[in-house]
Amino acid sequence: MMSAPQICIIAAAIFGLNACAGRGHHAPSPPPATNASRTPQPDVTSPPSATSRPAPIPVPKPSVTTRAPQAVNKTAPPVAKTPAPIAQAPKPTAPPSAAVTLDLNGLKTQLKETKAIGLFTKIALKNQVDDLLDQFRKYYQGKSKTNMMELRQSYNLLLLKVLSLLQNKDDKLASAIVSSREAIWDLLSDPRKFANLQI
Amino acid sequence: MNKRILALTQSLFLAAFFALPSLAAEDEALKKDLTAVIALQGLPCGEVVSVKTQAENDHAVLCKDGNKYRVYLNAAGRVVVEKRK
Repeated sequence: MMSAPQICIIAAAIFGLNACAGRGHHAPSPPPATNASRTPQPDVTSPPSATSRPAPIPVPKPSVTTRAPQAVNKTAPPVAKTPAPIAQAPKPTAPPSAAVTLDLNGLKTQLKETKAIGLFTKIALKNQVDDLLDQFRKYYQGKSKTNMMELRQSYNLLLLKVLSLLQNKDDKLASAIVSSREAIWDLLSDPRKFANLQI
Repeated sequence: MNKRILALTQSLFLAAFFALPSLAAEDEALKKDLTAVIALQGLPCGEVVSVKTQAENDHAVLCKDGNKYRVYLNAAGRVVVEKRK
């Protein structure tokens, strides 16, 4: 009845319809994914993705981070991206607070004893440190017109001078100063801590 | 007697021979120290090429760029750098 080309055309049409139907079946799967991404991070998310794709079933179980790429691949990239920064935000704040182990007296003695800086230079540096402390004192007493930004600049400049003097000569002390840079600033920029400061 | 004089001369020569490098090293260290002090004050110098010690903690300095300074420790314990002509 039908010729071979006609059979081929009909077969191709049937395969094409099946393919479309297959896409139609996959289409409903994204909504569960979006629903899942709206909910915080429960295990409810893994079943829908498991149904849509069989292979990644074991993948979502281990960690939350593996789920994010799946969501990115599908429909809800912005929703999936937003939780990541929130999760990362606390991480940077935690290390500095843990690393604030400032040994001010230790740094002071190290600076006194280092051979990277000559005697005259040490005295000159001490003079400049005293000047900066005076500026802070006057600022907290309300006797100075300088603001905190200017004080911070002076502080940065002084640290830069110290570091340039120590550079390539006493790397250990230089790195110790760099690591305690913010901790020292915390002491200086807080009036209460500064009042208790004894240098 | 001659042997004693000879031994004394030799020992003096040896002492001078070993002392000179250390003095030179001290001089270099002082030059670097004064260079750093001048730079800390934000004054132009480049590098200290000669130092003439006028008194304890009081030095007349000549810089590579031709600038001359007096670097000294005043009574208040501050390092002062004065430009000289």
